Amino acid sequence: MSQSTQPAFLLDSRGTHRDLGAFVVAARFSRNGKTAAFALGDGSVHLVPAADPAIWRAARVHDGAALALAADVDGDGFVSGGDDGLLRRVGADGSSTDLASFGAMKWVEQVATHALDKGKGLVAASVGKVVHLFDAAGEKLKTWTHPSSVTGLTFDGKGKRVGASHYNGVSLWFVAAKTDTPRVLEWKGSHTAVAIHPEGEAVVSAMQENALHGWRLSDGQHMRMSGYPSKSETLSFSRNGRWLASSGADAMVLWPFFGGGPMGKAPMELAGGDGVLCTQVACHPKEDMVAGGFADGLVVVADIASSRVLPVVPPEHGKITALAWSADGGRLAVGSESGFAALIDFSKR
Amino acid sequence: MADTAQVPVTVLTGYLGAGKTTLLNRILTEQHGRKYAVVINEFGELGVDNDLVVDTDEEVFEMNNGCICCTVRGDLIRIVGGLMKRRDKFDGIIIETTGLANPAPVAQTFFVDEGVKEKARLDAIVTVVDAKHLPARLADSNEAADQIAFADVIVLNKTDLVTPEELEAVEARIRQINKFAVIHRTQRAELPIEQVLDRGAFDLQRVLQMDPEFLSGEDDHEHNDDVSSMSFEVEKPIDPEKFNAWIGALLQEQGPDLLRTKGILAYAGEDRRFAFQAVHMIADGDFIGPWKDGEPRTSKIVFIGRNLNRPRLRRGFEGCVAD
Repeated sequence: MSQSTQPAFLLDSRGTHRDLGAFVVAARFSRNGKTAAFALGDGSVHLVPAADPAIWRAARVHDGAALALAADVDGDGFVSGGDDGLLRRVGADGSSTDLASFGAMKWVEQVATHALDKGKGLVAASVGKVVHLFDAAGEKLKTWTHPSSVTGLTFDGKGKRVGASHYNGVSLWFVAAKTDTPRVLEWKGSHTAVAIHPEGEAVVSAMQENALHGWRLSDGQHMRMSGYPSKSETLSFSRNGRWLASSGADAMVLWPFFGGGPMGKAPMELAGGDGVLCTQVACHPKEDMVAGGFADGLVVVADIASSRVLPVVPPEHGKITALAWSADGGRLAVGSESGFAALIDFSKR
Repeated sequence: MADTAQVPVTVLTGYLGAGKTTLLNRILTEQHGRKYAVVINEFGELGVDNDLVVDTDEEVFEMNNGCICCTVRGDLIRIVGGLMKRRDKFDGIIIETTGLANPAPVAQTFFVDEGVKEKARLDAIVTVVDAKHLPARLADSNEAADQIAFADVIVLNKTDLVTPEELEAVEARIRQINKFAVIHRTQRAELPIEQVLDRGAFDLQRVLQMDPEFLSGEDDHEHNDDVSSMSFEVEKPIDPEKFNAWIGALLQEQGPDLLRTKGILAYAGEDRRFAFQAVHMIADGDFIGPWKDGEPRTSKIVFIGRNLNRPRLRRGFEGCVAD
C-alpha cells in the first residue's frame, strides 16, 4: 500500500488521548454528558470534562481492579464495581463514596443503571449469583438470586425490567413486581452477555460456543445466530432496534431485527476483510451508525445504510477493550488493553 | 518477566483434610518475593494468608459441542479474564479445588476457552493425599483415583501417621494408578515449593524421558474401573496426518476413559518437537523447542485412564510411523 492511500484517522484531527498505563476495563459518559470516564485494571477511574478535554483527572477508586462502570442515574457522576468487593459512586471531581460493600473476596462484576424522572433512578450490581438493586439514594430495593454467576446485566429501555445472563439462559426480573419471580428464558449452555431490544421485542445473549441466542418476548420464539470464529463479548442494538451489532468475527456483524429477521437472514458485515478480530461494538444513539474496535487497536465508525467506513483510531495501541458514545452521539470514548484512552469529537463544527 | 508470557496456573486438588490448605499456605509464605493470585472454593478453618484471594463457587457446565465429557469451569473463565486486567500484580495463579472435585473440568477449561488459553497455561496439577486415609478414599469413590490420575505432582502427606510398610503399600497403590507423576513424601506438607510451582514443560519432558521398559513393568491391572497408566515409544518419525487421524478417532471413541494423554512427537521432516496433550476428548498440541544435536528422535506417548488396551494402543501408535 502506498503512502498516498493511507487513511486519515479522525483521532489526529478531532481527538485527544492519553496513555493511562493499565488495562481500560470500561469507558462511559455521564448522564448530562459533561464528563467522560475510563475505569482501569489498576482500580483508578480517569475523568475528563467535556468543556476542557485537556484536563484528565485520576481518582483512586478501587483497591484492585475496576471491573465495571456505568453512568450514575443523574448528573455528572458514575458508579463503578471492583474486585475489592465495593460498589462505589465516583464524582466528576474525583471524589468517591461507597454505595455498597460486599466483602473482600467478592467481585462486583456487572453494574447497570437506569435514569427515571426528576433525578430518580435505579442501580443494579451483580456479585456472584446475586443481583442487588438500589434506588438513586443507595437504598437497597431488591436482592435477586440466580442458579449460577451472573455474567451480563442490563435494564430494558424503560427501566421496568432487568435482564441477567447466566448458565442455561437469561432471567428477566420485573423491578416493580410484588413477588420476585423472574421470567426465565431458557437455553442450555453458558451465556456470557445480554442485551435487550430497545422496544422490548427480544432478548439476546452471547454464548460460550461462539454464537448468539435470542428469544422473541411476545411468544418465546428462539433465535439462533451462529458462525462466529470467536466469542462475542459485546452486543449493541441500533437506536431503533432494527440492527443488533456484535463483536467476535473479523468484521462487525449486524443482524437484522426487521422483515422477519434475524431468523433465516444473513447478517451484514461491516469493516471486515483484514482478518483482525472485532472486539468491541457500540451503536450510535441517534443515527444508524456503529463504532467498532479491533484486536490490533483499529477503531472505525460505519454508516449502516451505505456501509461506508470512517477510520477513527489507527491500529497502534493494543486490543480495543472499551467503546462508548455520549448520549447525544457527539463524542466517542475508546480504551485499549495497553492503557490507551481517547476521546473523539464527532459534533458539527 | 514479560507481560506477554502466559501466566502459569497451578491446580491443587485433594480430599478435605489431606493437607491442601497447609500446602497452599506454605507456598504463599515461602514464595520468595513472587506473588500469586489464589482462587479458592470453600473456606477452610485455616484461612488463606494472601493479598489476592478470590472466592468462587465451582460452576461446571457442559459445552454444546457434541462432546459428552467436555465440562468446563465457567467461573474460572471469568476469574482468569478478570485477573488479567491486573496482570502486573502477580506472577502466577493457584487454584484450590473442593475435596470431591473431579479435576477434568478445571484442566479442560485451559484447553477449551480461547481467551483463557491466550493468557494462561496449566502448569501442573498437584494432588495432596493423606497416607493414612487414601486406601479408604480409593475404595469409596472414583474421585480419589481421578485426582491421582490427573496429577503431575503428588504430595503424599501425613507419612508420620503410617508405618513404613503401610507407606510402601500406599505408594505402590498410587503407582498402579499413575506411574508418571512425581511423588513427594511429606509431613505437614513440607517440601521445597519449587517442587510444586513452575513445573511446566519440564514435567512433560521428564515424564517422557522415563525408561518405558521400567514403566511398563507389571501393570496388567486393566480391568473395569481401575485407573492405570502406560506409555509407548517409536524410533521412526511420525506422520502427522496419520497421528491426527488415529488420536482423533481414539479420543472420540474412548475419550470418557482417557483421563490424560501426553506425548512428545518427532514429525517426519520437522526439526522441532511436537508436544501433544489431551484431557478426555479435548486435545491440544504445539511445537516446542528443537531436538538437540545427536539426541535420538524418539516419539513417546503416555496414557492414563480406564480400560486401556495395551496391544491395541501400541499397534495404533506404531501405525502412525511415516512411510
